[in-house]
Formats: sequence, structure tokens, C-alpha cells
Amino acid sequence: VDKNKFKTCSQSGFCKRLRPFKPEKSQYSLNLDSILVHGNVLSAEVVTIDAADEKRTVLWKYAFKLSALADGTFRVELDEADPLYPRYRTQLALDGEPKADGLKLISKDDGKVILVNTQGHKVIITSEPLKLEFLDLNGEVAVVLNENSQLLVEPLRARREKVEDEDGDGANQLDDEEGTWSETFQSHHDSKPRGNEAVSLDVVFPDADHVYGIPEHTDGLALKTTTSGDPYRLYNLDVFEYILDSRMAIYGSVPVMYAHGPKRTVGVFWHNSAETWIDVVNYGEGNVVSSLVNLVTGGQKKRVDARFLSESGIVDMFVLMGSTPGDAFRQYTALTGTTPLPPKFSLGYHQCRWNYMDEADVRSVDENFDVHDIPMDSIWLDIEYTNKKMYFTWDVVKFPRPAEMVANLTAKGRKMVVIVDPHIKREPGYFLHEDATELGYYVKDRDGKDYEGWCWPGSSSYPDFFNPVVSRYYSDRYRFENFPGTSKDVHLWNDMNEPSVFNGPEVTMPKDCRHYKPPQDGLEGLAAYWEHRHVHNEYGLWNLRATNTGLLDRADGVYRPFLLTRAVFAGTQRYSAVWTGDNTAEWSFLAASVPMCLSLAIAGNSFCGSDVGGFFKYPEAELMTRWYQAAAFQPFFRAHSHIETKRREPWLYPAATTALIRDANRKRYALLDFWYTLFYEHTVDGLPVMRPLFQHYPDEPATYPIDDQYLLGDALLVKPVTTAGASSVEVYLPGDGPWYDVDTYVPHKGPRITQPVTISKIPVYQRGGTIVPRRERVRRSSALMADDPFTLVVALDANNSARGSLYIDDGETYEYKNNKYIYAKIEFGPDEMTYTLASEGAQYPTGAWLERVVVAGIRAAPRSARLQQDGRQTALQMTLHKGNDVLVLRKPAASMARPWTITFAY
Amino acid sequence: QSDVPRPRGVSLSKASLYLPTKDFTCFDGTATIPFSYVNDDYCDCFDGSDEPGTSACINGVFHCTNAGHRPQNLPSSRVNDGVCDCCDGTDEYANPTACTNICEELGKEARAEAQRVAELHKAGSQLRIDLIEKGNKKRNEMAEQLTQLEKDKSEAEKIKAEKELLKNDLEMKENEVLKVYREAEELEKQKKLDQEKETNLKESTEHFNRFDSNNDGELSVDEIKVVNVFDRNKDGQVDDDEVKMFLGGDEKVDKDAFLSTTWPILKPLLMMEQGMFKPEDAKTDTTETEAEENHEELDADFEGNEEDNSDLDLQEEHEEDETVSEQSKSYNDETQKIVDQASEARTQYTDAERTVREIESNIRNIKQNLEKDYGLEQEFASLDGDCFEYEDKEYVYKLCMFQKVTQKSKNGGMEVGLGNWGEWAGPENNKYSVMKYTNGIACWNGPSRTTTVNVNCDLETKITSVTEPFRCEYKMELSTPAACDDSSTSQEHTSHDEL
Repeated sequence: VDKNKFKTCSQSGFCKRLRPFKPEKSQYSLNLDSILVHGNVLSAEVVTIDAADEKRTVLWKYAFKLSALADGTFRVELDEADPLYPRYRTQLALDGEPKADGLKLISKDDGKVILVNTQGHKVIITSEPLKLEFLDLNGEVAVVLNENSQLLVEPLRARREKVEDEDGDGANQLDDEEGTWSETFQSHHDSKPRGNEAVSLDVVFPDADHVYGIPEHTDGLALKTTTSGDPYRLYNLDVFEYILDSRMAIYGSVPVMYAHGPKRTVGVFWHNSAETWIDVVNYGEGNVVSSLVNLVTGGQKKRVDARFLSESGIVDMFVLMGSTPGDAFRQYTALTGTTPLPPKFSLGYHQCRWNYMDEADVRSVDENFDVHDIPMDSIWLDIEYTNKKMYFTWDVVKFPRPAEMVANLTAKGRKMVVIVDPHIKREPGYFLHEDATELGYYVKDRDGKDYEGWCWPGSSSYPDFFNPVVSRYYSDRYRFENFPGTSKDVHLWNDMNEPSVFNGPEVTMPKDCRHYKPPQDGLEGLAAYWEHRHVHNEYGLWNLRATNTGLLDRADGVYRPFLLTRAVFAGTQRYSAVWTGDNTAEWSFLAASVPMCLSLAIAGNSFCGSDVGGFFKYPEAELMTRWYQAAAFQPFFRAHSHIETKRREPWLYPAATTALIRDANRKRYALLDFWYTLFYEHTVDGLPVMRPLFQHYPDEPATYPIDDQYLLGDALLVKPVTTAGASSVEVYLPGDGPWYDVDTYVPHKGPRITQPVTISKIPVYQRGGTIVPRRERVRRSSALMADDPFTLVVALDANNSARGSLYIDDGETYEYKNNKYIYAKIEFGPDEMTYTLASEGAQYPTGAWLERVVVAGIRAAPRSARLQQDGRQTALQMTLHKGNDVLVLRKPAASMARPWTITFAY
Repeated sequence: QSDVPRPRGVSLSKASLYLPTKDFTCFDGTATIPFSYVNDDYCDCFDGSDEPGTSACINGVFHCTNAGHRPQNLPSSRVNDGVCDCCDGTDEYANPTACTNICEELGKEARAEAQRVAELHKAGSQLRIDLIEKGNKKRNEMAEQLTQLEKDKSEAEKIKAEKELLKNDLEMKENEVLKVYREAEELEKQKKLDQEKETNLKESTEHFNRFDSNNDGELSVDEIKVVNVFDRNKDGQVDDDEVKMFLGGDEKVDKDAFLSTTWPILKPLLMMEQGMFKPEDAKTDTTETEAEENHEELDADFEGNEEDNSDLDLQEEHEEDETVSEQSKSYNDETQKIVDQASEARTQYTDAERTVREIESNIRNIKQNLEKDYGLEQEFASLDGDCFEYEDKEYVYKLCMFQKVTQKSKNGGMEVGLGNWGEWAGPENNKYSVMKYTNGIACWNGPSRTTTVNVNCDLETKITSVTEPFRCEYKMELSTPAACDDSSTSQEHTSHDEL
């Protein structure tokens, strides 16, 4: 990375100006007489008062709102009461208006207001200085806002044209500091027409061991104290050859943070799309001075403070009351949405490269997967398929017959994914450029002219998706008739949507570029448009939403689209899978893929992966093998590589490596229905698919910092091998166990084991008490496996029981919304095993059947087993493997479309 | 052949392993199961042998007879997956309407194609015979040439030996007559050296005596501290470092020690003061840190002192002059004659030697070509050195057989080497189907370029396509009658049938 290209806190005007801001006492106070509780909202006037002034002159007035929302969530908003122009409110992060909860005023005296929601969470508002305490259900303080007096909303001011100030308004009398009305970074000038407009708020989490979240960074899952060095930065940036263990901003920004300790888990969501810096002080960390710990925490050992600082917008903080990690994660997805059920193919293996050069290349890669019998679901085309980087067109020499090429793939159940970046080549005759120029669809520069930047195509402009007309136009470009060669089986990839601008400040768009704002009577000048600074982190999301709409509309809402993005913001999960961008073929980047995706997963983006093999450089056989093995157990599984690197399709490695890669991919495909079920359940419960250990073991402090292993659902524990020449790995097995090695069914008890590994070993464990569905017949692609039979792997707990679930549908349409699906609960007890359809009225005529039941950890084997389905009974053959206590039921052959029961006799 | 009853997916050759009257034992011997478990859509054998006709075993093999065309073995994962893989459609028996039997059609096409290829090969192999003839002729010519060259070589070596004898003889004489001149010269040199030494000693003694102000035969610290010359860094005083440097770490030096230790350091400084000398390396005479500190200063001094430099240059030139003059020394007539004869003999010897070398080089080249692998029957020999071009949108590619491959942009620019002749790289049974050219110009951030040339049978030798499937790895299709071999194609067909 060239660090000089990207700002440090001291190079970012508002961060430099406000990072030291920590007054003794907050100037903000709430006017108790102004309080109004209506429905779920308390509104009141907040003012700032000059502390030094005995007359207590009001400096500035603000509108304060506290809302109680469904599922133990609160929202705190603070805006100027009468701003010079409207301040930006982030538009797309929320998945619609949050659901209201009841809010009751309990008392209002002694300068305090006490309220309670329907669940019993209390909020204590201290009026002066303003402080908000949120109490958990035990009545203990769980979250405090403005404890450290860092609440701040810089009032908008008019730029004084003359030295004489006719305004007479107090705040306008302030001398303008340098940098108020313009800033310069390197050769880039930012005109800052609105001056300073930053917002800030501090949060205190009593009793917390760690805080997590605020992706995307290359730091670990648990966030670190930032007192030395810069704060964590959130500003979507295209960072070339990004580095590890860094708090630098990269492609994504999701301002949600969770705090966890043995007492509870809570979270905050900072609803702001501007450049944001976040400081963290963890008083439990060894390097925070202990006297300070005592001073601040009053003898309590644990506490984490955080402080959010954004360049613009309003203070808009959601407080998620937990109390478990799962509760907090769900509360966040309840606000910003979940990942919709992906088309099933997208959970399979994706083969990508920059670039597959022509149709013959695509055909040969496709065929080689069959020659080498490696399952694969999609081939991707990077930017070179286009006619000179003009999206929605094809290079007619290299790709003369795209429809035929796609048909070759779909004949084997495979799909194609093509890239479309948001930059538009400024090329005379290119319809998109001509339309956008003529119709004024581009983002404007500070002077109101079409903004021109430099990207892959050379001189480029960027659609202003904030204008609904532009988004509509853009969505329509994805219609089959507008994008010839595509079909429902061609899916999309939106890259470079931070947006990346090669010659822009920090490789992105200048902050004083202008975006569309719906026209409003009487608003003109600065009030008539948004600046890029207000919306930056949201830009990619608008791009994705337009693409997603286009993909739905092109297929009349029948087929589920797949979309991948690099830029990430709160809410991205509703439209797109994400990947960790341009990583490097090094062991450390393989290791980093786990905490990076975990962090994104708890921030709503479960559908995450990293480029298998690493984008830059070339992975040698061992690293490549380990990467496939690790990624086979990560949600988004795609190999990708830079155009300058050596080709690396699996068969280009020695035969032994090819075989290991085949094995890893087969393991993925065997578990495809397990993945699909997890993603279905995510749409229902909002929980991550890929989970940190502490989510299910919140009372086990040893799990809190763990980010080199993780859970899939609550059933599998994965510990990828991420070092060269490993002969063993240390695995932490939480809970009471047992955990069964999925390869051998050997049970292990935690908390720590040393797992010997060979190059073919992927350490994965199934928790005792769970049932995992598998398909042992791996085909060329997932679509070809639709009617194949299931093996149910039952891992017994101490009570000889286990449970699991299975979701089945057509894998590609929205028919599941019309009850065309199966969601089955599977339970195993010593006396019977049952398969019941859990969703009333839902049916799907699957041809899949039950091939085998494997019961691991059986202590007393039954004498006989009988299957009952559709009123018929069948005696089942059983084999007991004495060596590892595994019982196999041979070919029950029950249909998975209808319920069944297997009864055991002893 | 399909008449023999056997379970679905079993090839004729394995039919006898599946006997309905007996229990079935997995091929790997690990289990024996009732015969009713064979092809019952449940995998019982680790090796997949119990499910030849279903997709139950991940490592199973499905055999389709494909009557009318070629039989085929498929991974069992292709069975009933909705894709027609066998031309007889037997792999999709679960859905009998999914596939139609197209084996007759395909077989016909394949046979027609095989016939076309066979005819091509037949026609081509006539041309190939010509090529073989040409190749053999070329090789015979080369062999003859080689014999001739070997002969020439022994001739030339003889001459060389004669000339050497003559040269040695004359040089001996020359040495003899020049001896007297050389001795005189040597004497002169020695004398000069002695003189210098003496002057040096004298000069050293003079200075010693001058510095030894109390005349005690020893030079002490106090004595040198008052002498300007010892203030090497010209800071106005002779400091401890300077003392240490000049006295070699001792408190004092006597006359001998002064001569061996102090004087060699001091002399150049004195000369420098007189503007006569520039030291070779400023670092040699002081501690390292000090040297670095002083370096700039000294450099600056020298740069400013043009005269010093010119003096030094003159000195060097003077030395050169001496050697030159030695060669053009004048001798008396007789001596001169002998010297001239010796020179002439030397020239002749050198010429003879060169002739031998040239012949040897020719021999090597021919031998190399004779050793080159030109195919089983030398069918490629006559193509060595022939060049063929191919143009695409952007580039002109050129293949010079057994030499190199190049690429030139149509927009101009340098020719880029895509590889030099390396080796035949076809599969074991068809080694001469692929040529490899390696070690071309290295790619930016990548490996050196290589080109793989697939050699196919056709009636004319030409390049039919050039691609770059992997970065910096080029692929060429070359057609030539040299690759038209009746026997090899028939071999290929039989191996296919055996599947």
C-alpha cells in the first residue's frame, strides 16, 4: 500500500480538529419543560450553553428525539432545531421504517427523565449535562451516551463575505479556523462550501470485555484500544495492495459496534454515511494504564469506551439492548435487513479470473472442470469482456457469441457472472455516455458540470444513482434486450463502487462533488444538492440497489439474482454478497479472511468470502490447497486472480494438489444444503451464517477474542489451517461437547485439543446434539444435484439426542414465497427420529430422498429400526461400526417431500 | 457384444465379475454383499464396484456401449444428472425421454472424419516421404561435409604445428639477440629504484632531524605537535588523533620507526602541500568515522586543485610512453631482421590457428544439426531453418523451425522473442506432435516467454493459429506433411477402442 495516498486522522480536517475534543463538562442540556412523549417517541429541545457564561446564554438549539423500537432497540437523534440548510440523513441503510415499540414515561424529576419500553428496558435521561443511560432487564446500566461529554453537532454557518458581520448571531461571531471553508490534501482541493458540519458522540459500555464490528478493517475481530495511532476509519476506499493488521479504511464501512461481556451483549449503530473515525478505549486491555482504569471505571475492572466522529450529517444512534450476542446481531439486521435467500448456485464454487480472455478460454476452463471432475457452478468474466471497458457491451472479437457461450454453461447447470462497474467511459458514440450526458445523469463536480475522473476506461463519469430517474434508467440497462447475450443465468458483479477514481483524492470522488436531492420549493444553492461528503459511504449501496432492481425486473421478479460488491455499507446485505477485495497470495491474507468475514457477518453481511488463492501474486501448491480448504467452509467461495499473475486453475498444479482441491470442493458440495438451510434461516432469524464462537458461548470468556476459528450455524466448528508446513493445529472446543471430527466421527471434549493435520485435513467438528444434512453424490454443478438423496449425520449429545433442520426449494425462483418449499425439523432421540415439516402449508415436490442416516457417538445400539412414511412401514438395515461408535442406517429411502419417522427398538 | 447379460454400466470385459448366482465381492475385496445390492442405488463398496450403473458411489465408473460409435467410461456422478453424456443415452435411464440415441449419427460422422483424416494422412504421408528423402539427403550431405571438414581439420592442424615449430625457433633466436638489450634495460630500472630509495631515505632523515628538535634521536609527541605538517585536518592544532595516526599509537618514534610508519603517511601530505601529489584514497590514513567526516572536505580540496590532477595525468601518460617506446626501439640491422622474421612467423601461426578454429566450429555446427532430433525418420530435417509467418489483428508471428519464435507488433516496435528451440514435448506415444520453444524475452513481472507448437498433419507446411492461452505462454498450430504418419493415427484409434 502507498500509505501517503490515504489520510491519517491529522490529515482529515474534522478528525484533526475534533479528535482532542473532550470537554470537562458537556455544553448540551435538555430542556425538561419541552418534553413531549407521543407514541413511541420522546421529543425535546436540547440546547448548548456556554459554561463560562453566568447568564447561561443559549448558544444553539437542537431537536432531540428518543424512539423506542421493536425488539429492544432505541434510537437517539439530534439535529439542529433550525439548520441553515437541511443536514443529510442517510437514506438507504435502513430496511424501511423501523418498527415502533411502546415507550412509557415513568418519572420526570430531579433533572432526570426515566422511560421504559414494553420489554422493560429503562432509559434514564439526565438533563444537564445531557446524558443517556440505557438499562438492561436487570436494571443495570448497559450503555451510556455522552458520559465523556463528546456529544457535538457543529452548527452550520453562513460563510461571511465581509469582515463586518450583520447577522448578529452569536455562533456566527466565531472566528473561522483555518480549514473551515476549504481543505487541501496533496494536490486535491476540497472547497467545503458548507464549512464545518461534523457530528460526534461517545458511548460507554460498562462491564464489556470487548467491542466488535465496524467493518471493514484488516484488524482482528475484537477491536483494539486506539489511543496510540489513529482511530478506526470508515470511508469506502479502493486501497491498492491493502495491508493487514491495520485500522485504515478499505472498501467497506458498516458503523455498527457490539460490546460483549459475561453480563450481556449490547450494540450501537451509528447511522451516518459520511467519513467516520472511531476511537476505542478498552480499560480491560493490558496497555491501558491501571490508575486510569480505576479512575474511570470506579474500581470496575471492565469497561469499553467508544467515540464516533463523522464529517457531516446528524447524530443518529441506534442502541441495541441485546441481551445475548445473537439478540444484538438480530436487532441490527432487523433495522438494516437480512441477506435474501441466494440462488442456490451462488453457494457453490465460483471460478473467476481477470480475465478469461475469450469464448474458447471459457469453454476450455468449463471442460477442464469436468475432465478433472471438480464441481463448479459459475465462470466469471472481469472487465476485459467488454468493448473497451464500456459496460453493457461485448468485445465482439473475443466474445462474438455470448449467448451461445452461456448456453454451453447452462447445459451443465452452470451460470455466468459478468462485471459491470459504475464508472462510465466518456466515449462519443457510447449510448450510455451519450444518454447520461444528454439527460444530465452524471454526478456533478463542484461547479455543477459533469464530474470527470479516471478509471479503467480512461476518462470516466459516474451515474448519480441518488436521482431515482437515473437509478431507473440504470436498472433498465440490465434488461435482456438492453444487454444482449445475457439471460436469467447471467449474474452480476459491481466492482469499483466505492467509487474508485484513480486520479481522485484518496482514489475516490472529491467530497465537493454534487449529488441529486429531490427539489423542494424555496430551496436553492447549497440547499438544492447533497455533496459527495454526505453520501460517500452510501454511494455503492445506491449502485447495488439499482442493479438489484434491474436484475429483478429483467426476469419479471421470477428469478433470484446474484450480485457481488466490493463497496459495503449498512444495508448492503439486502442486495449483494461481498468479498474482501484485492488481497494477496500470502498465508497472512488467508488467515485474515476469517476475522474479516466474521466482522462483516456480525454487521449483517453473512455472504462473504475472500479471493481464493489471493488476487495479487501467485500461490504455491500448499497455500493454494489450504486456501481452497478454508474457503470451502466460508460463505462465498470464489477463486480469483490478477491478470498479470500465472494461471492457476486447479489442474495447472501437480496432480496431487488438483486432487486435494477436488476433495475440498466436494466437501463444499456435500454440505451445500446445510449452507442453503443456514441462509434460509438467516432470512428468518437475522443471525449470521458464519458466527464467532462467543455468539453461542457468551459465558465462556476464552471464546471472546477467538477469530481464527468460527461456527457455521450452531452445528459446525471450523478451524482452517493457515500456516505453511503445519503438522497440527490448536483448536478451542467450547461448551460441554462432545465435538465430532466430521471426517472420522471421533468425539472430542474441549476446551483445547491439538489436532494433527496432514495436507488433506480440514479441521471441522460437528457439535454433539446437532443433525447436519449432506449429499454424498457430488455432481458437476449444484443444479444437477437437485433430486439426489440425502445423508443425515446425527451427532449425539450427552442425552443421546440431536436436532437439525433442512430447507429445500427450487433453488432459483421466488416461488418459495408462495409456499413452494420445505422447511423440515429433524429430531433424533433414543426411541425415534422424526422429520417434520415445520412451515404450515409449505410444500415442495422434491425428488430427493433419504439415502442414509449416520449416528455418531451411539452408546447403546438399537436392535431394530423401522421407517414409517405415508402409512407404510419398512424395516431398516443397520450397521454398527464398533471402532468409533457409529451406527449407519442403510437406505431408508424416505421421500424428503413428506414427513417420516424412524422408530428404534432395543 | 451387448448380448451378454450383465448389470447396467458394466463393460463387457468386466461382465464375468458380476454373477447373479453368487454374492458380490467388491473389487477391492473389502466387503461381500448380496447380489441384490448391486446397482441398488446405495454404495456398499469403498471402490464403488457394487454400483456400476447408478450414481451412488462417488468413485464409481459407468460404462456405455454406444453401439455404432465408441464406447465410453464415465464417472458415476454423470449418471442420471439430466445431462446426456453417452451418445446412446443410457446414462440417463431414469428419464428415458431425456436423451435420444445419436450414436449411429455420431459414429457415422466420426467414421467420416476418421476417413478424412486417414486420407489426409495418406496423401500427406506421400509428401512426408519426400520430406524424409530431403531430410536424409540433407543429413547425408552434412555427413559428407563433416568427413571433408575432419580431413580439412587434420590438414590445418598439421600446418598449424609446422608454423608453431617455425615460430618457436625464430622466437628463440629473437630472444637471444634481444637479451643484451633487455639486460641493459633491467639494469637501468634497478638503478633508478635504488636511487629513489636513497632519495627517500635521505629525505626522511632530513625531515626526522628537522622535527627532532632536541636531537635525542627520537620524535616525541611534543615535538610533532609544533609542526604544521602534522595538522592533517588543518584545524590549527595537532590533536590526539593526528598524533596517534602519525606515531602509530606510540608515545615516540625513533628514526627507523619514523621511516617505516610515519614517513609513508607524511610524504604524500608534504607533496600535497607542495602541490605535487594526490593520495589514492583519503580513507586509508585515518579512522573510519573521521575519514567520513573529512571526506567531503578533502574532496572539495582536490576538485579545486586542477593542477594536481593534470600532474597526475601526465605521470600516467609518461608511463605509457615508456612501454610504447620499448616496442619501437631501434635495433641494429641484423637484430631487426631476426625480429621481423619472428613477427612474420607469429602472424602465420596465428592465421593457421584461426583456420583450425574455424573448421572446428563448422564441425561443431554440423554435428549439432546431425544430433538434432528431426523425428523418427528425419522427416523434419529439411524444415530446419525454414520460417513461417502468421498474422492476427495486432501481431505478426514468425516461427523459424528448430531456431526461434518471434512476435512483432503491426504498430511497429521491436521484435519480441517468444522462445528458442527447446525440445519435442508431445506425449510419450506421440513425441513429435508438440515442439517447445523456451527462454524467450522475460515478461514484465512474469516468467520468460515460451511457445508450444502443436504439429498437425496437412498437405502444406503453415501456421494455422497463434494464441496466448496463459500469460506469456504462446500456443501455435502448425500443419505440415511431416506430421502425416499412417501408422501413428491407426495406433491412436486402437487405443481409443480399448476404453
